[in-house]
Amino acid sequence: MTKKTKILAISSPGGHWIQLNKICNQLEDRFDVVYATPRAQYKSSAQQGKRKVYAITDASADSKLNLIPVTFQLLSILIRERPHTIISTGAAPGVMAVLLCKFLPIKTIWVDSIANVKVLSRSGKMVKKHANLVMTQWEDLSDEKTIFYRGSVL
Amino acid sequence: MIFVAVGTQFPFDRLIENMDQWAADYDEEVIAQIADGEYLPQNINWQRFLDPEQYNNYIKQASVFVSHAGMGNIISARQHNTPIIVMNRQFELGEHRNNHQADGIQWMAKLSGVYAAPTQAELYTLLCDTKALQVSSSTENEKLDRLVGFLGDYIETGTTN
Repeated sequence: MTKKTKILAISSPGGHWIQLNKICNQLEDRFDVVYATPRAQYKSSAQQGKRKVYAITDASADSKLNLIPVTFQLLSILIRERPHTIISTGAAPGVMAVLLCKFLPIKTIWVDSIANVKVLSRSGKMVKKHANLVMTQWEDLSDEKTIFYRGSVL
Repeated sequence: MIFVAVGTQFPFDRLIENMDQWAADYDEEVIAQIADGEYLPQNINWQRFLDPEQYNNYIKQASVFVSHAGMGNIISARQHNTPIIVMNRQFELGEHRNNHQADGIQWMAKLSGVYAAPTQAELYTLLCDTKALQVSSSTENEKLDRLVGFLGDYIETGTTN
């Protein structure tokens, strides 16, 4: 039996986590997916029993100090799990993970939130030059060179 | 039947009150999940919280789902092919801790089967002709399958071709 490629999926709570789940529920058919998100999200995940979910501190651009523990937590998860690729729908924890992976042999995918219709999200703009693949969920925002559109979660 | 739900985190009395007043004038069954709201409806069948199974059944059975502008309810409505009308909580009225639901209805209204009603007048206008509210059933899965297929191929091959 061949071992499935490992993916680490990271997001902040709420809509970002809902979108990440829509994507990763299907990716689980092809890959071994582990998750990192603030603890409050566990109960909203239908499949939590079978899943490996790491708790991280709930950090945002509005609580910048919390980004420090999040960075160390993510680094420790990355070292332990050694994923092939990470994927994030946002926001702050995803940015930190993308930046950390720049210095590690780990591919990074950013799927910008469907809530960002007119311009890329603030966190999306931050990772635009650093992630290996940046996706938008709105065709108008894609340039097919640095930002791609291939559908959406809804 | 019209199903009304406001999420579990906060009450949303304005939406419940609007629907209660509407139900007084129309001969249509309305069922509502009102969370911790202070306003207690007179003309609709309400409960504070519902178990997930009952909740999903109501969404499935409803001709229209009237909801706060929450992404979870939009996704559930699409899963059951039920048209959904969303009213956003307003920060100015103390209905949420920020105004993200006002921005939210702008993108939500671009989705098939999702209708935005920021005000009572807009809500009542949409409820006047619920048969006009339509969902195209296939679009959601097509878009998601395409996105996930692309991501999966990218992970395996490292190229966007």
